[in-house]
Amino acid sequence: MNRISAAVDRFGRAVLDNIEEMGRIFILFISVLMWMVRPPLKLRLIFKQMEFVGVKSIFVVVLTGTFTGMVMALQGYYGFRMFNAESLVGSTVALGMTRELGPVLTALMVTARAGSAMAAELGTMRVTEQIDALSVMATNPVKHLIVPRIIAGVIMLPALTIVSDFMGILGGYFVGVPILNINAGAFIKNITKMVDLGDIYNGLIKAAFFGLILSLVGCYKGFNTTGGAEGVGKATTEAVVLASVSILVSDYFLTAIMF
Amino acid sequence: MSSISTEAKVGLFVLVALIILGYMSFRVGEKGFGLKKGYPVHVVFDNATGLEKDASVQIAGVEVGRVEDISLKDGKALVTLRIVPNVRLEKDVQAKIKAYGILGDKYVDIVPGTLGEAYIAVGGDIVRTEQQADIDKLLSELGTIAGDVMEVTASLKNSMGGAKGEENIRAIIDNTRAITEDLARIVRQNDAKLNLMVDNLSEASSEMRRTFATLNSIVEKIDSGEGTIGQLVENRDAFDNLNQTLVSLKGITEKINRGEGSIGKLVNDEDTVDNLNSSLKSIGKSMDGIDRYVSKSEQFKTFLSYRGEYLFDSGDGKGYIDLTIRPKEDKFYVLGLVTNPNGRLTVTDTTPAGGATARTETWERDELLFTAQIGKRFKDIALRGGVFESTGGVGVDYFALDDRLQLTFEVFDFGSDRNAHLKTYAEYRFLKHIYLSAGWDDFISNEGGDSPFVGFSIKFEDEDLKYLLGSVPMPN
Repeated sequence: MNRISAAVDRFGRAVLDNIEEMGRIFILFISVLMWMVRPPLKLRLIFKQMEFVGVKSIFVVVLTGTFTGMVMALQGYYGFRMFNAESLVGSTVALGMTRELGPVLTALMVTARAGSAMAAELGTMRVTEQIDALSVMATNPVKHLIVPRIIAGVIMLPALTIVSDFMGILGGYFVGVPILNINAGAFIKNITKMVDLGDIYNGLIKAAFFGLILSLVGCYKGFNTTGGAEGVGKATTEAVVLASVSILVSDYFLTAIMF
Repeated sequence: MSSISTEAKVGLFVLVALIILGYMSFRVGEKGFGLKKGYPVHVVFDNATGLEKDASVQIAGVEVGRVEDISLKDGKALVTLRIVPNVRLEKDVQAKIKAYGILGDKYVDIVPGTLGEAYIAVGGDIVRTEQQADIDKLLSELGTIAGDVMEVTASLKNSMGGAKGEENIRAIIDNTRAITEDLARIVRQNDAKLNLMVDNLSEASSEMRRTFATLNSIVEKIDSGEGTIGQLVENRDAFDNLNQTLVSLKGITEKINRGEGSIGKLVNDEDTVDNLNSSLKSIGKSMDGIDRYVSKSEQFKTFLSYRGEYLFDSGDGKGYIDLTIRPKEDKFYVLGLVTNPNGRLTVTDTTPAGGATARTETWERDELLFTAQIGKRFKDIALRGGVFESTGGVGVDYFALDDRLQLTFEVFDFGSDRNAHLKTYAEYRFLKHIYLSAGWDDFISNEGGDSPFVGFSIKFEDEDLKYLLGSVPMPN
């Protein structure tokens, strides 16, 4: 009896913890919004974060985008060859990249690169009591540390996604036209015919949401780190896992709403 | 590198991203450029399945507008098109919904109208539309076709499949092989004979050439007065002799005329002439009689014929032996015997006093039936009447192709308890005395006796019978 009630107790506590965490993240989000509209904005900090999140992620994003486009062309060719519709490979790659893979893969890569770094950085500041020091100096840690990161995330993710989309299509073109001998004109014409502006823009909106999610989760996990160096590591791991899962889950709902 | 500030790096990156976005947006949005302007035109389709807003409107494959709106109007699809301003549509243009390939998107195709026709006003209607065969319709039609094909194959399977069908096909193939083998053998065996024939022919033709040459030389000789005939023709002496003979003949006849000499007396005596006259008259009378007799026996013809018929349905054979006597061209009698394997059904109803009627049916099988008919022929048609297969009946024959082909229709065996026996057939002479026939026997029978048949006959004129019967007096 005791064991069963203990299990129920553990389960219930876990559920409550998760709900509580969700609530805390949301409260953090509200306070970020409030601090964001309250001048002065620290532009220097924002640019620093934008450089970190955006500029320094270009290489990895270009790499993933290009290879994703290439492999999509290869796989799509395998399928379309059965219907003698090889020229549709281009539009498949373009639609897949702009609508889905560009935003999601970019978000996942940036989560791994920058989201984890945010959690680690803020976590270290928390355990070394630098955040407490900021509070003591009457500098709001949310405004000073979190707002720039979130702004950087929301702005940089769409920018990175554009690069990823473009590189993916370019990768698909280089696999499709010279290697698989698809007609270049038909390849490009099908892309422009099948892809709408909406496909690109909705992908960018998704990317902005993902930027928000990954920076918010990273900052939250780092901001609430406890337990020294070990806690910092734990916070980093948790930030990456939670952000990745949230991105994939929210991706479904965002797609369902927008397309 | 460190000289580049953070802001510059971020700015550069964002700029690059925006340029790429601008480029992609331009390429993707290119097709819609300039189409937002233009004037609206309405068109009503029975069915606008698959047509979507912003679908392309094309003339001859060139985009001239977009589908602006699709709505329902009186159970049909009212489609509003927006056509670019520099394209004018004539009143008699035709609009159809087409698809890019089988799986492609739908678009509106406009077939241009007559040049010089008035233009459709802004907000006007395209009246003529054509429904394009869509894939669903095609598929359903394909379905029916497949069903038909399946029925055909099923019936084929029924008739040809199975052990029996296979056996039949094998039998056909075997027969064909046997026939071709026979043919090959015949050709092989007669090869030598054929060669001989050809050789003979060539020999004969060379003989003929020689004969003609000889004839030619004979004629030439006659022409030049060589030989007896030649001299006769060419020699003056012969003519003179002939002349002299004729002159002396003239003298003789003159003498006879004058009553000189015994012949002259005979000729010039009145009594002699009377005597001669009466005797000549009597000779003339008897000559008439001979004449009539001779001509009659010339006309008189007798034919003996045998005809065998094979009835498909019962598998029986039917034989006819007929003696046809034709005293005159247009008149004939037929006497004959018929073997009838089918027999004849005789139904007898006996009603004992107060009892139920009992019906007895007796088949007379393998009996011999009789034919005795009298017939008359009018040009190509002959009418016959008399006894047909031991029953009363009439028949009509039609002759064609110089009597080579005979079409016959007979009706006999009239009975109250059954349908009359009707028989029709065609007979064709393909060799001198051999005829082939085919027809339908008893085809309105209610006793199941109807059957198609084929047959062959042998028919020849009998000279001996002619003289034998010729002495029998015949009615004129």
